[in-house]
Amino acid sequence: MTTKQLVLIKGTKEGLVLQLDDQCAYSDLLDELKRKVTEDGLEGQAEVTIHVGNRYCNQEQLKEILHIVQQSKHLKVSKIKSDVITVEECNQKLLKSQSATYIGIVRSGQELRADGDLVVIGDVNPNGKVIAGGSIYVMGRLKGMAHAGVEGNRECVIAASWLEATHLMIADLMELMTNEVTILAEKPEMECAYIHPNGHIAIDRLQDLRILRPNLSTFKGGS
Amino acid sequence: MGEAIVITSGKGGVGKTTTTANLGTALALQNKKVCLIDTDIGLRNLDVILGLENRIIYDLVDTVEGRCKIQQALVKDKRFDDLLFLLPAAQTSDKNAVTPQQMAKLVEELKLDFDYVLIDCPAGIEQGYKNAVAGADKAIVVTTPEISAVRDADRIIGLLEKEEIEPPRLIINRIRPQLMKNGDSMDVNEITTHLSIDLLGIIPDDEQVIRSSNKGEPIVMEPSTQAAIAYRNIVRRILGESVPLMSLENEHKGVFSKIKALFAK
Repeated sequence: MTTKQLVLIKGTKEGLVLQLDDQCAYSDLLDELKRKVTEDGLEGQAEVTIHVGNRYCNQEQLKEILHIVQQSKHLKVSKIKSDVITVEECNQKLLKSQSATYIGIVRSGQELRADGDLVVIGDVNPNGKVIAGGSIYVMGRLKGMAHAGVEGNRECVIAASWLEATHLMIADLMELMTNEVTILAEKPEMECAYIHPNGHIAIDRLQDLRILRPNLSTFKGGS
Repeated sequence: MGEAIVITSGKGGVGKTTTTANLGTALALQNKKVCLIDTDIGLRNLDVILGLENRIIYDLVDTVEGRCKIQQALVKDKRFDDLLFLLPAAQTSDKNAVTPQQMAKLVEELKLDFDYVLIDCPAGIEQGYKNAVAGADKAIVVTTPEISAVRDADRIIGLLEKEEIEPPRLIINRIRPQLMKNGDSMDVNEITTHLSIDLLGIIPDDEQVIRSSNKGEPIVMEPSTQAAIAYRNIVRRILGESVPLMSLENEHKGVFSKIKALFAK
């Protein structure tokens, strides 16, 4: 029987890496891990990253691994890396990174939701609401309410051909578009709302978006 | 087989009932067999506007509960020989006395006998609205140039779009040309772009409408008035003719501007 090492400790530029074998039985791995971390020869305190490789570990198992490593007073876990996720998790991530397109008018009393970006081709009328996990782009008149980055992403923006919303919300911030608000333009054509570094929602010309949020562009190639 | 059209608005007091009475009468004048249904159970008005209040024997609730046959409940308007009928609402029950299924069945039966079944919808978006929409093939949304009426129309259009009926068409009622011209009320273009549905017609505000409603004679019976022409135009559009929108400017021209216009030619 070959004595393959189930737990490898490697040193990298970022610190120590605990490489866990992803082919052996889970129980064997735990035993080996326990032995490795309690071994003598470790000195001081080192930051360590755990790589579980291609083994799918559920939350319980990850906790278990974390617990074992933390028993050693020499090791401090900075993060756990895995090369695999479940199909379900993948689909959810996919939804969040996709942009959903809606063609039509969001009328009073209607609510539109998307996990990722949301593109509305049509107007959003007063008392209509559009909500997205990502950014919101309205090709039409936004005259209702819009909430971008609903799960807390403060990088998200709300852009519209005509930005005349009653309420603008980005992540945890909300701005009422009352008459007192000075950021409103006379002719709110081609504008975008974003969170300014000063912590408030600001409105600027749509053309400035590529400077304000260069990361929003996902386009590859071209010249 | 006729078609059923529901006339609705969301907001109250914009002229649904007046519009229903006038469109029904105008259709009858065009030799169509028409049945008007008042679904505003508990607050019926359509019978009053048509001047048929005294002739009601049975009503909508009697019909759906089987206390009478549909034919017995229909009130005939004697001014039009066998062309215009009204199925009045009950005054003693409320909206929950009828279910959408019952309404759909009733309208289906009426469509066999009539060319047009016009359903007058109560204000609001609750049970009464659901009943009124249940049997309809088409919908007409009535609004006025007020912002509150337009908001409610927007809401009702959103609800109508979820039903299995054709896209609704719009009537803008009680237009005051002077206010619109001065920009003190929303103009026709603004309203239609906001609601983005087809415009079926516009009706100017006219005291004569109130006067004739109080007499129980729909305004279309006096063809000299602008409102009557507007309603008749709408009916021609419903029947498939293409009629240009009426101009609201002409009416209030003074003598001086008329002379000026003469010279302008």
